[in-house]
Amino acid sequence: MIEGVNEIISTKMNPNVLPHLHIWEWHIPLYLFLGGIAGGLLLITSVMIVMRRHFGIGPKDEGDGCPCGAVRIGAILSPLLLGIGMLFLFLDLAHKLYVWAFYTTIQPTSPMSAGSWILVAFFPLAMLQAMVVNRKYLNALNIELLNKLIKWTDDHLLKVALLNAHIGVGIGIYTGILLSFFSARPLWSSSILGMLFLVSGISSASALMLLLAPKKEKHIYSRIDANAIWIELVIVGLFILGGITGTANTHGAMMHLIVGDHLMAGIPYMYWFWGVFITAGLLLPLLIEFLENAGFHLHLPPIAPVLVLIGGLVLRFLIVFAGQTYHTFM
Amino acid sequence: MSEKKKNFGMIIDTRVCVGCSACVYACKAENGIPEGYCRDWVVQETNGEFPALTMENRSERCQHCDNAPCVTYCPTGASHYDENGTVQINRSICTGCKACMAACPYDARYVHPDGFVDKCSLCKHRIEKGQKTACVSICPTDSLHLVDFDNMTTEDKAMLRGKNVYRQKEHAGTEPRLYWISASNKPGA
Repeated sequence: MIEGVNEIISTKMNPNVLPHLHIWEWHIPLYLFLGGIAGGLLLITSVMIVMRRHFGIGPKDEGDGCPCGAVRIGAILSPLLLGIGMLFLFLDLAHKLYVWAFYTTIQPTSPMSAGSWILVAFFPLAMLQAMVVNRKYLNALNIELLNKLIKWTDDHLLKVALLNAHIGVGIGIYTGILLSFFSARPLWSSSILGMLFLVSGISSASALMLLLAPKKEKHIYSRIDANAIWIELVIVGLFILGGITGTANTHGAMMHLIVGDHLMAGIPYMYWFWGVFITAGLLLPLLIEFLENAGFHLHLPPIAPVLVLIGGLVLRFLIVFAGQTYHTFM
Repeated sequence: MSEKKKNFGMIIDTRVCVGCSACVYACKAENGIPEGYCRDWVVQETNGEFPALTMENRSERCQHCDNAPCVTYCPTGASHYDENGTVQINRSICTGCKACMAACPYDARYVHPDGFVDKCSLCKHRIEKGQKTACVSICPTDSLHLVDFDNMTTEDKAMLRGKNVYRQKEHAGTEPRLYWISASNKPGA
């Protein structure tokens, strides 16, 4: 006797049609990663500007109305990285010349439509903020319009920075929500994905600022990063628990991610998830940053922030790919 | 969404489907589907315990859902409901972002090499002329039936009466408009 079987043979088993990994490839994880960093950078730099200007807390200003170097460069990198991310998004479109179609309509039920408008709202205010914190270089150009824009932004900097902090959070959450609205893909169908990508984006952004900051200011970003990492660990734990205790669909999809033997770049998902993302991307940098903040100077090259950035990138690739290589909602 | 004038869908009698794939090739020829791609496909599902095995052949395609996730998630409005009650794609505003593909629980869509997302249109161009779809007209065993569910004929109703009829992934809340007469209705199944 043969055990009960359920065998399905389909003439659609064709890589052109069966959309496993045919939906979104490397462009989208990169876009989500850069979008998360851009949102995190905008949030951190905005908060640092408000804290310094209104409460006198934070690293010393560079003078001529410019804050510290890390905030200055972070404010420039935020729209720049988002712009690069959007380039990848554009490259992913099957019909690139129709990109304008995103901006002739608002589809209230489509997260991608909302996202495309949020991305537009992001740039003007983020650019104004980047200009005002780099004014000593821009004023030297002596362009009247630029000077007027900088003056206007400076007069309204509190409002602009607070608005930017919210837009930064919005972008960070959006990178996760974009996936979590797809109930047909069981791994993505978790609303905690928005929070996970937001916190991961903040952590990656603080890691980038940690790399950029002068030695005497590194501890600030190290603390932000360490706090973001442990919050991220809690959220990852909840994401895993929600998956494995969920329905057959979500349970199977979560197992596919955390103990799956499907290969990404020749390595099974399980090793990527536990080895690279959790251990190397979260636990190890958390330990290094904890020791550094507790006064044990390890005199290491900047391993922790680099590991955090690698972990953040791997997280996006894993979630996007594992969500597609598992079967659709059954 | 246009006002519905018709409510087209299909009744598919899997009892008589032999899995010949004539529907697949009729569709490819009628709609000019490029080599290597298809808008419909044949699935053969075997269940049970040897020697008591049952087999069902199904000619599958887009389900033209009443609550279609592809329409919900499309950021440009390219995926839309048309007046015949079917789900269509407006190629002139489809950016090929693939959100509809990620949203579809039936994996019914693919990226056409010309840069838009494509799927079964229920032969919109034919049903507008009062003709049957290419797959329905070619089916040699009369397994496929095009039905206007707002104006069901006596034959349509008789087909479903007293039989085990199901819709795929109904619990996804998509309200699919393809009704399947199960192979379990076969004598001896």
